[in-house]
Amino acid sequence: MKSLTRGNFRAAATSLRQNKGRSLLTMLGIIIGVSSVITVVSIGEGIKQQISTNIDRAGKNLITVRPGHAARGGLSNLGSLANVSSGGTLTAKDFETVQTTKGIDSTAPLGVVAGTVKGERGVYDDGPVVMTTQDFPKLVNQSVAFGVFLTEEDSDDYVAVLGAHAAQRLFNANVPLGQTFTFRGREFMVRGILNDTASAPLSSDVNFNNAIFITYDAGKKLTNNSAGIYEVLAKSSSSDPTPAIKTLEQRLTRLHGDDHDFSVLRSSQTQAQTDSVLNLLTELITGVAAVSLLVGGIGIMNILLVSVTERMHEIGIRKAVGATNRQILSEFMAEATVLSITGSIIGIVVSLVVNLVLRILTSLTPAINWQIIVIATLVSVATGILFGSAPALKAARKDPIAALRGE
Amino acid sequence: MPIIQIQDVSKLYGFGDATTLALDEVSLTIEQGEFVAVMGPSGCGKSTLMNVIGLLDRPTHGTYQLNGKNVSRLRPNQSAKIRRDTIGYIFQSFNLLPKLTALENVALPLLYKNMTTTKRLKLASNILERVGMQEREYFLPSQLSGGQVQSVAIARALVNSPKLIIADEPTGNLDSAGSRLVMELLSEIHKLGNTILFVTHNPELTRYATRVLYMHDGMIIQDEQTAIGQVAKTARRSMFSPLPASAEDDLAGVSALMKAVPDKDTKQPRKARSRKSAGRGKVSKPRRKAAK
Repeated sequence: MKSLTRGNFRAAATSLRQNKGRSLLTMLGIIIGVSSVITVVSIGEGIKQQISTNIDRAGKNLITVRPGHAARGGLSNLGSLANVSSGGTLTAKDFETVQTTKGIDSTAPLGVVAGTVKGERGVYDDGPVVMTTQDFPKLVNQSVAFGVFLTEEDSDDYVAVLGAHAAQRLFNANVPLGQTFTFRGREFMVRGILNDTASAPLSSDVNFNNAIFITYDAGKKLTNNSAGIYEVLAKSSSSDPTPAIKTLEQRLTRLHGDDHDFSVLRSSQTQAQTDSVLNLLTELITGVAAVSLLVGGIGIMNILLVSVTERMHEIGIRKAVGATNRQILSEFMAEATVLSITGSIIGIVVSLVVNLVLRILTSLTPAINWQIIVIATLVSVATGILFGSAPALKAARKDPIAALRGE
Repeated sequence: MPIIQIQDVSKLYGFGDATTLALDEVSLTIEQGEFVAVMGPSGCGKSTLMNVIGLLDRPTHGTYQLNGKNVSRLRPNQSAKIRRDTIGYIFQSFNLLPKLTALENVALPLLYKNMTTTKRLKLASNILERVGMQEREYFLPSQLSGGQVQSVAIARALVNSPKLIIADEPTGNLDSAGSRLVMELLSEIHKLGNTILFVTHNPELTRYATRVLYMHDGMIIQDEQTAIGQVAKTARRSMFSPLPASAEDDLAGVSALMKAVPDKDTKQPRKARSRKSAGRGKVSKPRRKAAK
């Protein structure tokens, strides 16, 4: 049996090589399926890793207060993505409450101020204008490359600190310190430029590289106190943030009239929130990609059916000289297996190339892990064998006389 | 013990009004070591008989004992194993795999015996030497002449050292030189004690046979023992008999061979002829049975 099986695999590989074009077309479905599943999952994995490094950098005792109740699990998480970025229900009062809570060391609000930024080079619309306070860089471990960050003395002065990309875009200069732009009719002077930060694409957080930071007071003044706060960052004085989070929740609940329409998250929870949204998205796209694996299986079935018809005479000869049904079956199964294995190997190579291209051309850093490669390969081989069995059975059950006549 | 013992074997194709009776209650016994030629007009059931004897086909009715073992109701896998171990089949159209070399083609039946590749090729090479094709082992069938291809096919049929060799018009696609080569090979194999059945249209080739069967409309109408080296009597007569006298005779598929069948045995062919004229006789068998 061993020698027969090996012979079958060798024969299958030979017939693949002889019909290169057709084999490639047959494998196309498998190739696309495997490579897209691996790519999608690795992009999701990569984003998760980037987010977690960001959070690690900010420190374990960072507390985030967000509007809306953090729903957990399932499709309802899709809503929370919109929630996070929608401005929401946090107010200046909330910020003050966080500030005065016992056990909170430092705190900074983050609020988006609507308006158009006009610089020398025209309108800047790559990122938001964010109002915050002087503690912000310390809270997220963000360092300043040039100049200084906003200080307490700035109060409602029209000064701004730019993210690394914003500086580049707005002024086409690396160090545009002292230059000015207009925002909501006021002239803002650039006070400092932040270092480039690793940002996680697709995450709900604002990309600080593209943001323009102004003081909290200036923001309030420009909008007549109407600008909402989408997030309040805080750091607890002790390394364990749990007691501080408890007090915060109690005080905020009282402030909101016993309505729990906000969430106080520790760093791991913030990640869990984004992770679950990302997982869901990844699962959905992977599902779509997996459909092409199915299509690939059907492709294999189709071509094997053609192959069975083409080789009917050969099947007849083999049966006439004594091949049993099982032996003919294993011959065609070997072909299906070789097709799907070769297809998934090519798929893996394609996904590695796509990975490289993505790393070069975009800010994504897909992370390929061996588990997904193994799973994708196994699934594709299983589909190949599953769909290959129908034509193989057809070949095996042929009546030798009819097969010899080529019917 | 006879190697082949067939009792009242019938083979029907199709169903309903389209039923064709390919074998009509054929009984036949062949002893070990016989060299049997089967003759008859096209469509008389020669190939069907060969397929049934070669276990490529199953009879509809009747029993078939091969080597004393009833093989008329075997499952496909069982008959495949018997084909592999005891029967060598030679076809008119050679039926070699075009992508394999002569050597690989000869070694093919051994593949299904799960023999190792080296052993298979060695055995195949030995057999090819026996049929005088050793220096062309690595040729593809397309690079060989008709006679040579059939020699390779004979080697393939021999490679399992089968008890029985069936050749369905082995010389049908060959010129006279090729035919001669093939028949000499078969008669050499016969001298070694093998049983050989072959179908032919050429009366000359009955020289090689020890026994000649004549078939017509699915029946064996004449069974003649003959000496090696001589054209069988009936066959010889058919060689020189005039063309059919009337169009009606020819329409019925009555060839010169039929006219050559000796007078004392004309009972059966005449019956066949009358059935034909009575109305598309081939389907009449089951109906007749029902009438009984």
